[in-house]
Amino acid sequence: MSQDDSGREPLPIWFFVGVILAVYGVLVIAGGLVSTRATVLADTKPGLWWGALMLVAGGIFTAIGWVSHKKG
Amino acid sequence: MPTIELAFLDWAIIVLYFVAIIGIGLYLKKFTKTGEDFFMGGRKNSSWVAGLAFLSANLGALEILGWTGGTMKYGMFVSHFYWVGAIPAMLFLGLYMMPFYYSSKIHSVPGYLKLRFDERTRLLNAFSFAIMTLLMSGINLYLMALVFNLLLGWDWHVSMWVSAAAIGCYITLGGLMSAIFTEIVQFFLIWAGLFLVSVLGVMEFGGLGEVMNGLPSTMSTLWSTTGDPDANAMGVTWLGLAMGLGFVLSFGYWTTDFLVVQRAFSSKDLRSARLTPITASFFKMALPFIVVVAGLVAYKLGMDPASGFKLPEDPSNPGKLWNDAALPLLIVRYYPVGLVGLGITALLAGFMAGQAGNVSAFNTVWTYDIYRAVINKKASDEHLVWVGRVTTVVGILLSVGTAYLAMQFNTIMDYIQAIFSWVNAPLFATMLLGMFWKRTTSAGAFWGLLAGMITSFGIFIGFRFGWISGDLASVLTFTATPSDMTRNLWQASWAWIVCFGMTVAISLFTAPKPDAELEGLVKGLTPKADDGKVGLLGRPGFWAAVALVVLVVLNVYFW
Repeated sequence: MSQDDSGREPLPIWFFVGVILAVYGVLVIAGGLVSTRATVLADTKPGLWWGALMLVAGGIFTAIGWVSHKKG
Repeated sequence: MPTIELAFLDWAIIVLYFVAIIGIGLYLKKFTKTGEDFFMGGRKNSSWVAGLAFLSANLGALEILGWTGGTMKYGMFVSHFYWVGAIPAMLFLGLYMMPFYYSSKIHSVPGYLKLRFDERTRLLNAFSFAIMTLLMSGINLYLMALVFNLLLGWDWHVSMWVSAAAIGCYITLGGLMSAIFTEIVQFFLIWAGLFLVSVLGVMEFGGLGEVMNGLPSTMSTLWSTTGDPDANAMGVTWLGLAMGLGFVLSFGYWTTDFLVVQRAFSSKDLRSARLTPITASFFKMALPFIVVVAGLVAYKLGMDPASGFKLPEDPSNPGKLWNDAALPLLIVRYYPVGLVGLGITALLAGFMAGQAGNVSAFNTVWTYDIYRAVINKKASDEHLVWVGRVTTVVGILLSVGTAYLAMQFNTIMDYIQAIFSWVNAPLFATMLLGMFWKRTTSAGAFWGLLAGMITSFGIFIGFRFGWISGDLASVLTFTATPSDMTRNLWQASWAWIVCFGMTVAISLFTAPKPDAELEGLVKGLTPKADDGKVGLLGRPGFWAAVALVVLVVLNVYFW
């Protein structure tokens, strides 16, 4: 990709992936906390641990994207 | 069947997805200035970015829904489409074909045909590819609207127009790079949103062994029942699988379909381009852990009336069960609020990325291989970017038109879905000969390709209208009572054989191009790809060998 008019390179895709995973992770955790849906294996609280995994993965990807962008 | 109820948080996740992809398109627009930016993503991508996009361009929601449902019918045999039906071709592309593609700095696969052969061969492929991608894009759109209408009660027209508008918006703004970004987002959403279904399914049964336990032998193995087509659920022999799927269909798709190959062209250098399909191969091999495992869980649940898991009636085939609903029903079974929204968003992203991939490939082929080749040979780079943007909008509108056509005439779907076999299967023979036999002539390539396409179409029509039956059907498929899958595999195989044979025969009687015109395009006249001082872990050959070992281990384990 070309640089923008200020001479900057675009942020890497990993940054966007990280932000989306992190935001979705928070929403999935919130859903796990408030959900009253009667689902199979509800006692294992999948919304909580899966959301937490997404949040952690999102944080890592965001950091990787940001650091690589700063390094140029 | 009752529709799935979405809570506020589920809706929030779906709406955020649209905000994110349009936001990415808006952000990338200021970096999209030249034709290289718009059509080739700037050619600066790493093999990770290009590799995940390469895989995701193929990883549509249709495939995931279809093969999860297909597993309920064919069992473990579905894994063949992810393993032997993909990996050897992806590795071959990376190791042997990519140097010819990438080094010639072409913008498209038809562009290679122009350099290697002539304008007419390029145009034959460009037109057939353009039509194929538009029709496939429309079918994708139609099926998306169908699935969401039945599962969620969404209005057909709103589903189609909203998703088409979003795709049109971000591709018009950022071109291929927008498509690549959203494809990678889609890749992560599919794993985040759908893999958990398999995990929870396995947890419910108490382990993967318990899921596999008790499956009929026709469904639980990969190769051991392929000696007799009646002994396996797919009704195929090992020869049909190896020749039709493992060779012709697989190589025809993965090595020549511009929709996926375009992602490799966006790589920053030849080594990254070669690593692109090799990197993708590892993730391709992992996909049965979503698709096949979820399908087997659904199958086992369906066998147990006490499980409460029941497939609805197929809307297209009254009286039959709708296997494609298996994955959404598992989402409803296991997912709380929030995760339901994530699962639906993963499917939505899969549908939209599939359509975006088709549109971005279409705008490139139209702009470079039809518009610049035939209509305006002196077009400036700036003008071509403008044409690409206009073509994107037109392509989207034509896709919507195709979707409405499919809605009105349901049988048109069968024809459109068979187009792939008409276009790509013979093209692989043309490419193979073009890259590896310098004696191949332009006349041989053109007439061979045309004959292969006609053969594939003829066999399809012949079976469909009953003109091919009895002994002739047995001769063509090597099977007394060929299943639909067997017919498809052999239809592609014969198209390839005819194209290959015709191309060789005509080439032997016509004059080849001089060597000077073939440098960089044919084996023997192209410098070998040199990885320089790169260590073992950076070499495409090393990772291809690792992928091959994993493939063999998986096939032996599930033999």
